Amino acid sequence: MRGSWVRTSSTAFAIAVCIFLFCTLQTFVASLTGFLKQGTTRLITTHNVSRAFRLPNAYEPQIAALFGVKRVAAANWFGGMRDLSNPRDVFTNFAIEADFLPMYPEYLLPDNEKRTFLRDQRGCIIGPALAERFHWKVGDSVQLESSVSAYRTAKPLDFIISGIYQTDQRRYPGTNDALLFFHYKYLDEATGRRVGVATYRVEISDPGQAGRISQAIDNLFENSDTQTHTETEAQYRASLGILGGNLILLLNGIALTVMFTILLVTGNTMSMAVRERRMEIAVLKTLGFRSGIVMSLILGEGGILGGAGALMGLLLGRFLIDLLPKIPVIGDLVRGFPRMNVPPAIAVAGVGIGVLLGVTAGLIPALLAYRAKITELVRQV
Amino acid sequence: MAERTIIPSEMAAAVTLDGVCKVYERDGREIVILNGIDLSVPTGEFVALMGPSGSGKTTLLNFIAGIDRPTSGSVVVGGTDVTALSEGELAKWRSRTVGFIFQFYYLIPILTAAENVELPLMLAPLAKKERQDRALTALKIVGLADRARHYPRQLSGGQEQRVAIARAIVTDPRVIVADEPTGDLDAKSADEVLTLMQALNQEFGKTIVMVTHDPRAANRAHTQKHLEKGVFLNG
Repeated sequence: MRGSWVRTSSTAFAIAVCIFLFCTLQTFVASLTGFLKQGTTRLITTHNVSRAFRLPNAYEPQIAALFGVKRVAAANWFGGMRDLSNPRDVFTNFAIEADFLPMYPEYLLPDNEKRTFLRDQRGCIIGPALAERFHWKVGDSVQLESSVSAYRTAKPLDFIISGIYQTDQRRYPGTNDALLFFHYKYLDEATGRRVGVATYRVEISDPGQAGRISQAIDNLFENSDTQTHTETEAQYRASLGILGGNLILLLNGIALTVMFTILLVTGNTMSMAVRERRMEIAVLKTLGFRSGIVMSLILGEGGILGGAGALMGLLLGRFLIDLLPKIPVIGDLVRGFPRMNVPPAIAVAGVGIGVLLGVTAGLIPALLAYRAKITELVRQV
Repeated sequence: MAERTIIPSEMAAAVTLDGVCKVYERDGREIVILNGIDLSVPTGEFVALMGPSGSGKTTLLNFIAGIDRPTSGSVVVGGTDVTALSEGELAKWRSRTVGFIFQFYYLIPILTAAENVELPLMLAPLAKKERQDRALTALKIVGLADRARHYPRQLSGGQEQRVAIARAIVTDPRVIVADEPTGDLDAKSADEVLTLMQALNQEFGKTIVMVTHDPRAANRAHTQKHLEKGVFLNG
């Protein structure tokens, strides 16, 4: 390895890039999987024709009265921005009813902050990522104007930050920590009670009854002007278009393809390195080093190279994941997603895969070195 | 280790070759490299093997060093019939019995002179300090103790070959084999190397078998053997 620093460094860097991609993609997949698995006791009811259309407020008590329904809450995506002319200012915000918070335990809010929020119609609660991004704290005032024309008023809506919720990614993986929630009643009254309901969040007592209750809700309004479509929250999230199961398959496919390519490249590099070191192998064997030891040295070298590259890739990933939200354009894209941290299991797997890549890449050159006769090696030099 | 029992009559000979043949097959034809070679090298002898290119002298040397096997015949070195050893046993035997000097030195470029000399000792159950001490002793014998920390690229050709000789003797082998040890050296360096080899033979009693084209090198040996077309000319 000490023989050619350029080749060793570039090979380690190639493995670093591979492991970085693997860890980043797998972290994203893990985050997505966790995100999709949330809400087994929650259904979402929307307009049957399009999610852009809204449902009548009168539907809520009817849904709440169904057997098996524990609570119902309206939740409208507000699309609010501090400055409509600044597209980088985008973050996700919802108008919610009071019963929303009990059915979403993943947003951990201290009791006093919850009380403050519930008491103040202009109150809002924010995620820690938003607090960090905009340097907001409890008590600060925020003005938001909606990008949705139906929600626009004469002037931006005023909010006071009542609390900052926390997330527990181990218990509730994939929970978004960059959201803002405010009172649906505030939006409804500010717009003259004409906004309607974009989604009804329905909490049910028994997840096993999700199918029956979904059907029951839709049956309630089957013959009305505004029909509904009810599904589990997991199905709703998956159907958002970017969260299909095929995406996970695609991401895993990308990771595998990258690993295979790097394996071929690294294998070729190691073969070249071993060929150039024929003389050294011949000398070692002449001195009495057994073929097995020579083979182990080459495999060990590959393993160390792979492990070092993997650690480099993990550090690169850690650095880039922290840096991404700050990069123009890319930052705008990723800010809407839950913050990603490489879970320890994926980090360990990444290092293991790096070592395995290095050892596998060195396997054929090691076998050739094992079988090579000293006289042939010396003749080739 | 499947070593053959030492036969008393062979104890005076460090190397005994009996009816050794080497035949290669190329494109369906048999090419005879060595044809029924008999050779006996007494302990403490310095033998030069000479002959034109393709005469089989390097092949013969490789048999003695245990890095190649004859097609037929026996090769007994240091009391061991090396043709009866497995590859693993042969490797172990080489590490203890033979010191090999290559024409082009073949020092490991990323190791210092001391580390190169220490390399054969990595196979012995020695502590690091003892390995380093022995390596330094071997470098002192060849007159290069002051260059212990230098890399091969910092040494002249003659110095590199002397480090290679130190590497060959550090395990105190019974037999030293040298394949054209002065082939890549200028006259002065060649002279230094040959003087060193003579000293190893005369002062330390090492048995040396050397392949050479150089008559001046051959003259340093006790005995010269001439090979041509796979047989010794002088019997």
